[in-house]
Amino acid sequence: MASVTYDHVTKRFGDVTAVSDLDIEVEDQEFLVFVGPSGCGKSTSLRMLAGLEEITEGRILIGDRVVNNVAPKDRDIAMVFQSYALYPHMTVFDNMAFGLKLRKTPKEEIKRRVHEAARSLGIEDLLDRRPRQLSGGQRQRVAVGRAIVREPAVFLMDEPLSNLDAKLRVEARANISRLHLRLATTFIYVTHDQTEAMTMGSRICVLSAGVLMQLDSPQNLYDFPDNVFVAGFIGSPAMNFRRATVRQENGDMVVDTGDFQVVVPPAHARHFPEAIGKEVVFGIRPEDIHDPQYTPPGIHTAQVPAQVDVVEEMGNEKLVYLADSQREGLIPLVARFDPRTRPVVGNTVSIAFNMDNIHLFDATTEQALRVGRERTDV
Amino acid sequence: MNKRKYHIIIPFLAPSLILYITFVLFPYARAMYISLTKWRGLTPNPEFVGLANFEQMLNDRFFWNALGHNVGYLLVLPIVTISIALYLAFLLTQGKVRFSRFYRITYFFPQVMSLVALGVLWSFIYHPTIGILNGILGLFGTEARIAWLGNPDVALGAIGVVVIWQAVGFYMVLFIAGMESIPTTFYEAARIDGANQWQVFWKITMPLLWDTTRTALVFLAIGATDMFAITQTMTEGGPNRSTDVLATYLYERAFLSSQFGYATAIGVSLFFMVLILSVFTLRVTQRESLEY
Repeated sequence: MASVTYDHVTKRFGDVTAVSDLDIEVEDQEFLVFVGPSGCGKSTSLRMLAGLEEITEGRILIGDRVVNNVAPKDRDIAMVFQSYALYPHMTVFDNMAFGLKLRKTPKEEIKRRVHEAARSLGIEDLLDRRPRQLSGGQRQRVAVGRAIVREPAVFLMDEPLSNLDAKLRVEARANISRLHLRLATTFIYVTHDQTEAMTMGSRICVLSAGVLMQLDSPQNLYDFPDNVFVAGFIGSPAMNFRRATVRQENGDMVVDTGDFQVVVPPAHARHFPEAIGKEVVFGIRPEDIHDPQYTPPGIHTAQVPAQVDVVEEMGNEKLVYLADSQREGLIPLVARFDPRTRPVVGNTVSIAFNMDNIHLFDATTEQALRVGRERTDV
Repeated sequence: MNKRKYHIIIPFLAPSLILYITFVLFPYARAMYISLTKWRGLTPNPEFVGLANFEQMLNDRFFWNALGHNVGYLLVLPIVTISIALYLAFLLTQGKVRFSRFYRITYFFPQVMSLVALGVLWSFIYHPTIGILNGILGLFGTEARIAWLGNPDVALGAIGVVVIWQAVGFYMVLFIAGMESIPTTFYEAARIDGANQWQVFWKITMPLLWDTTRTALVFLAIGATDMFAITQTMTEGGPNRSTDVLATYLYERAFLSSQFGYATAIGVSLFFMVLILSVFTLRVTQRESLEY
């Protein structure tokens, strides 16, 4: 058990800066997820912690110990690789026991720990098999098992689920969350999949091009994104964005995208004291765009006409892609409609924005204009 | 339908089949036959003598002498060559050696030269009076002018050194290719598991290179039973048959003594020895094939 600190860590490969001034603290027993698109530096950050990459600048601490010059084996970590990296010439037992054998752990102890870990992962009957005789899901569990038996202070996982099919991934996700609760150890997890990040992390570290975009709890990332990148990255389908200007009209805050003008209710407008007169990016999540017929009670809405372009039936909801009926060639909006709505492709319909949940970002800096974090709609 | 398929396949196969039969299978069969005859190579009709040639072989001390040298090579050359090649390959794939590409090419270089040229080259290096080897030893104060190829006690070893020097580069490249196809995550996982360089080599690299190693072993074993070109150019089996191998002895019997029947019998026995040796080596070294 240990905390992990990235103290102004930078990593450069030649002229390319992979990670830039990363400065975060991971608490003991926390489940931290690094998430971001490929090439954002999330794996590099993890690999520096593992000792597989040199640190160009800054320090990494595990507990109170600076580990910049500590060999991977002496960092008290275990890692699960994306490819699992199970030694193909060894049985499952030997794969799991390898690290313990190298550490001269007594034979009985090795046996006990391997069997215990195997039992908890449901792979006890596979111990005599070779990796190639296992299915993808079994390999993944063996890879986790190999990390568990070492009883490390910090678990590192580099996209451990991305080679699994969708159904297994959901299962494995829950298993890893359960494992984290049971072991009560620090987990650091890398993924490009925001769903994985949201469902597993106690905190999520969103990276883009090597720069930390936001480090927060899943709910806060979703509700209060610090910038356009996080707003667009977290959530699926992604948040809708429009360039807009904000002005004051009869005491109301009005967001004008050129195609439509919507009034922000005063209770929500007070979160954006600096917005008036600014060029902004207006953001609204798909679930905050409703069919006026099925608008939830008690929210402030603004209605806008739009043309139905594509409808995706999800069963529990309908994803409706809307083109703006007023003008051609605009970025369409995506809305999550109530399943009872019957949108007809090609028809012009009225859509209702839940104005209590809109987001505004500075158009130049792309930073959130929001001040304070109380939800308007609660 | 099946019959028709063969109508198409046979014309395509025929040319290579005919060539193979004419130039491979027939000579083999013919050699088997000649090994059972007494033949001076010029007469049209070899005289059938049954197994007499093989019987003679058992009592021929020169045959046993030559075979002994082959066995010596067999025991030493593969293991030494593979060890050096593995060592060099490991060094050059660590990414820590500067100019590693240059070393790769340099070590491989002897492989692209003809064995005869190498034989001549090394004959000069080993030359007792004008050879560079004795010259270098002289710099360190060695007075004795060693006749590397003239001394029955060292000649065999001297030839072995040339063969190792010549072969190491090739096997090094083979091992480098094998090592570079091993995913780096295995090494990373092993480092996190706590393995040092030495343990990584023995526990990860070697087992994963096993297929390459056994191929090398078989090639080198076959090479050790041959050794004709290098021996013939450097010593012709001398001095006093101290470097004679089966191939040079066979050559001598056939082309210098005109005992083609007997020489062919040596060739046939050599064939079976290599066959048994290859099968034996492959069987003994067989392991479950690995995928990664």
